[in-house]
Amino acid sequence: MSDTDFQSVITPPPADQLVLETRNLNFYYGTHQSLFGVSMPVKRNGITALIGPSGCGKSTLLRTMNRIYDLYPGQRAEGEILVDGENILGPKVDVTSLRARVGMVFQKPTPFPMSIYDNVAFGVKLYHKKSKSQMDEVVEKALRRAALWDEVKDKLTKSGLSLSGGQQQRLCVARGIAVEPEILLLDEPASALDPISTAKLEDTLEELKRDLTIIIVTHNLQQAARLSDYTGFMYLGKMVEYGPTEELFVKPKVERTSDYIGGRFG
Amino acid sequence: MDRALRRKIANQAFVVICTGAALVALAALALIMFSLLTKGVGGVDLMLFTADTPAPDSPGGLRNAIIGSILMCGVAMMIAVVIGVLAGTWLAEIGGNTPYGHVVRFLNDVLLSAPSILIGLFVYWWVVVPMGGFSGWAGAIALGILATPIVTRTTEDILNLQPNALREAGMALGASQWVTVRSIIWKAAGAGMLTGGLLGFARISGETAPLLFTALNNQFLSFDMSKPFASLPGAIYPFAMSPYETWNTLAWAGALLITLAVLGVNILGRWLARDKDHK
Repeated sequence: MSDTDFQSVITPPPADQLVLETRNLNFYYGTHQSLFGVSMPVKRNGITALIGPSGCGKSTLLRTMNRIYDLYPGQRAEGEILVDGENILGPKVDVTSLRARVGMVFQKPTPFPMSIYDNVAFGVKLYHKKSKSQMDEVVEKALRRAALWDEVKDKLTKSGLSLSGGQQQRLCVARGIAVEPEILLLDEPASALDPISTAKLEDTLEELKRDLTIIIVTHNLQQAARLSDYTGFMYLGKMVEYGPTEELFVKPKVERTSDYIGGRFG
Repeated sequence: MDRALRRKIANQAFVVICTGAALVALAALALIMFSLLTKGVGGVDLMLFTADTPAPDSPGGLRNAIIGSILMCGVAMMIAVVIGVLAGTWLAEIGGNTPYGHVVRFLNDVLLSAPSILIGLFVYWWVVVPMGGFSGWAGAIALGILATPIVTRTTEDILNLQPNALREAGMALGASQWVTVRSIIWKAAGAGMLTGGLLGFARISGETAPLLFTALNNQFLSFDMSKPFASLPGAIYPFAMSPYETWNTLAWAGALLITLAVLGVNILGRWLARDKDHK
């Protein structure tokens, strides 16, 4: 069996629980293809993790789901990505409203150069006119859900940049969920955080998953095993194995998956 | 000689040469400041700000020239900031990598190093002649054209320094590109963009050549920018060349004022742009 010719085993969640599904997705950076026929059915509400060695296409796959790659000319996706049954790769899709439904948190915290309050209110203001008191509620609710409220409630007017790295990342989560998305994409959100901040962030995600679909790219296998309900293992731009986290970690169906999880490569 | 010693000597020699070069450059600046202060301070009194440029050998001040310079530089900076910030933003955020973008950037660089007297001639031909006479507006336009490429260039450079993650974060919330640039990227780049504006101001505040063909000069106080207009460089130039001692003193005082104004505006800018985010 050559390196690029391997089997792909997908164990999908029940069909009526799907919120997002990529079908036969190819992705190109210019002429370089980096995703090959990826199919990934994501369950509504819960955490889905993407694991795999560096450069396997995890982040690329994540970045197709809100079409953030559109910012860069030359990057394009082929295939289908269904969000609530609608193909978001279609030409008539309004990407700004798509991104309000599919939020994203990045590897490094990206607080905007404005107050903590304005950071959280930023996305909400784009879509809704709210009175001061309504906005106060929205901001408090988002910060509470992101488990940051107690730490910042007395300094909402301070710059978002004044927070620690872990707080900044939770601020970005709060900002992302303030617009009430259905899906939140996280691209290695804990890789720049210390263990304590990471634990807090994970607690936050555990809370959020009850009424939000979370898709998280992580290098940390323990994190994927701890947090997620479903896990996808990617290698060289392909989805090698996808299924319930327990099954994938305890009795993987593909040898390459067990090699990777067992630390024999990658 | 062993290698370590040779390296040590080479290192010392290099440090000495660099320090020497820095001292020569600083010495020039110090001498300029010294002569400006010694010769200029004597001319600074209340009358400098309350009286207009005088006839030879009679008392006077530079009020008309100061006000003229402020007005023309102010209008020029409004032109330069609006056009320069938008053009720099376009280059950094939208079209900078297109063939047209490369042409725009190249032409901007050409304009950046164009001799200011050429700009004066250009404005003379396209503004002064059709309008039928020298005017403050023409002077302001010439100065604006000089400052615009500076603002454009610094705006583009500063915006390029902003991390892409910030742009992505804005867009990922569903903001349009325009909203992302306006309310996130410009904010993050504010201090640097301000510096660009200050550089532009510093450049034009002492320009004389382009004003000779455009604003000309005016011996009286005037706020009508459609007429010939006074300016500090426009007063310094003839006064410094003249044989009259009162005029010479005023020229030095004017030169000191320009220098202090540029220095003051720069300090003010630094102070406004100080790092407020981490307090």
